[in-house]
Amino acid sequence: MSQTYFAGIDAGSTYVKAALMDENQALVAFDQRPTGIDADGTSQKMIAAMAEANGIPADHIQNIIATGYSRRIISMARDTVTEIKAHARGAAWSAPNSIGIRTVIDIGGQDSKVIVLDGDNEILNFAMNDKCAAGTGRFLESLARVLELDISELGPLSLQSNMPLSINSTCVVFAESEVVSLVARKKKREDIVAGIHHSLAKRIAAMARKAGAQPGILLTGGGGRNAGIASALDEALLMDIHVPEYPQLNGALGAALIGMTED
Amino acid sequence: MKISDMVAKRTRRLLKGVARSAAVELERLRSIPGTPEELNFFYDVLEAAYVRNDPAPMLDARPDKDLFVGVYCMVVPEELIYAAGAIPVRLCAGCFESSQIGEDRVPRDGCPLVKSSMGLSMQKGLKVFDLCDIVAIPTTCDAKRKLGEELSAFKEVWMIETPHIKDADFSRRIWMEQMYALKAKLETVKRNGTRGKRINARRMAAAIQDTARAQAEMRRLLSLRSAEKPLIWGRQATAVVNAFAYAHVNRWTEAVTRLNNRLAAMAENDQPMADSGRPRIYIAGSPSLFPNLKIPTLVEEMGGVVVADESCAGDRYLYDPVGSTEKNLNDQMLGVASRYLAPCVCPSFTPNDDRLTLIQRMITDFAVDGVLYHVLKGCVVYDFEVNRVENALRNNQIPLLRVETDYNPEDVEQLRTRIEAFIEMLKSKRSRTKQAVS
Repeated sequence: MSQTYFAGIDAGSTYVKAALMDENQALVAFDQRPTGIDADGTSQKMIAAMAEANGIPADHIQNIIATGYSRRIISMARDTVTEIKAHARGAAWSAPNSIGIRTVIDIGGQDSKVIVLDGDNEILNFAMNDKCAAGTGRFLESLARVLELDISELGPLSLQSNMPLSINSTCVVFAESEVVSLVARKKKREDIVAGIHHSLAKRIAAMARKAGAQPGILLTGGGGRNAGIASALDEALLMDIHVPEYPQLNGALGAALIGMTED
Repeated sequence: MKISDMVAKRTRRLLKGVARSAAVELERLRSIPGTPEELNFFYDVLEAAYVRNDPAPMLDARPDKDLFVGVYCMVVPEELIYAAGAIPVRLCAGCFESSQIGEDRVPRDGCPLVKSSMGLSMQKGLKVFDLCDIVAIPTTCDAKRKLGEELSAFKEVWMIETPHIKDADFSRRIWMEQMYALKAKLETVKRNGTRGKRINARRMAAAIQDTARAQAEMRRLLSLRSAEKPLIWGRQATAVVNAFAYAHVNRWTEAVTRLNNRLAAMAENDQPMADSGRPRIYIAGSPSLFPNLKIPTLVEEMGGVVVADESCAGDRYLYDPVGSTEKNLNDQMLGVASRYLAPCVCPSFTPNDDRLTLIQRMITDFAVDGVLYHVLKGCVVYDFEVNRVENALRNNQIPLLRVETDYNPEDVEQLRTRIEAFIEMLKSKRSRTKQAVS
């Protein structure tokens, strides 16, 4: 008997993430690539590459569900769901050590969101940042550029800080000039980076409190790969922040799980 | 180039922009599958006002002879204007193009409605604005008060002092005084030899009766909208009420009567406009004004149906009738004055617990699944009350989504994601409730 597989595609503003699962909800393969200008073409290549690498015939992949900012242009998708629903759905699977997740904080490239769940993983409430890059991955990206750091270096560096500086502007452009002046004043880079993380965490914590965040917090999206953000959020919310093994994959996993169970 | 040429060019550009946005919105409305022909009248009214720029026929008016009175908000009694033989035109505008021009005189944090109306008054050209000989503006919120002051550079403005503590005795006294002052003003407005008519009991009775018929049909429309299987889309109904601003009351009433008859027939034959599986949404907060139907359109495109709203340019506009039994002028004036002040739950009033009562009643009557709370940027009073409304709804377990936006179309995609997620959430809540019952 041939196996059936399910795929979820999370076509975000910065990266396309894809997850391939078998019918027992085991993760078979995953991939992520920069979205570029052709999210549809990128995702087709990703699915084809994952299928080939695992020796799966293309027609064994069923019910592809797309989510993320460019979800509507993914031609392989049988259906689309919002990022909110996908992340909510992925939470239980992604949760490390089967912790009961009641709140998902997703920090993506272009937006951040807080999703509050009830005990059955159903969405109770959600909040998203307004049309502005403050509190998103884009905020970190531009500030990393000013500091001549790669975005992956931010987390480890900030954890070395003993005295985070304060970055007051939430606007990317103003924050950039603030960082430039801190660099000019020869402040330590780890303190600047920690300050950036605290500024971002404060903004997200305010949104989370307003949405009614409950303990049992899962940090997903690109932000989940940054240990500095997890630690700053922990301080800002006074709650434990749990980070899944593949934080960026949570939306795609959720989409794949939705494809598996909903018809 | 002469200055007058430059002004003329600017006017042409504005009118072209306004006409294009209005035409796009009308096309979107007209192309909704299954649109009954009875809706065409309302679309034609909006087209006459914003696309063809020829509103007089729909207002049953002669542009060179009749008196036109511009009004803002829903607390200026149109009965008085009709009784003075004049034509009321509501000028609360929804055009993005003119809101940019209005920013010359309205601060950045001012609301888009005031910016838009300001822009259309400053840059002459759109007839619904230019026709008005005088503009009556109530002092409801900060923005309307200052709008009146700024507009007086372009128009004759008549301010109506609106008391904010509705239940107080002094408020009733102030309001009655204001109504009589407005009456006296309307009787003396002049234009090209035409003068406002003397408002007497007979003319008032006729105006009250005409408006009452409109209100009765409006309530009938609302009760048809409460059907389990939706008979009309919310964005269509919004256009119906919006059109009241630019149509003669009697022609509008005839058209709504025909529409209601049609909807009743659709109910009878079990031919609903939408299926009953859609989450039922109530829009609270700031008004949606043509051509800015962004919010109801997004809700319905994303899988919901707007069953009712509490907007001052929507379901609240024409809800309450005038209670006057005696055919004498004093009693009529009292009835008209009370109808415009007492039931209005605009958040510029305080205390405003009536609003929570109204929303909770609507939630029950219309079997609402979720509330979309619309805040026009800069409308501080509506935003102030969002927490009270959310808390009140928590007892009914009705979720609320607050969205803040203006007339700029640039945020449509961000709003779409949130509204879609809200509707997904309501759908899954519905299916769980159903499972729990069965």
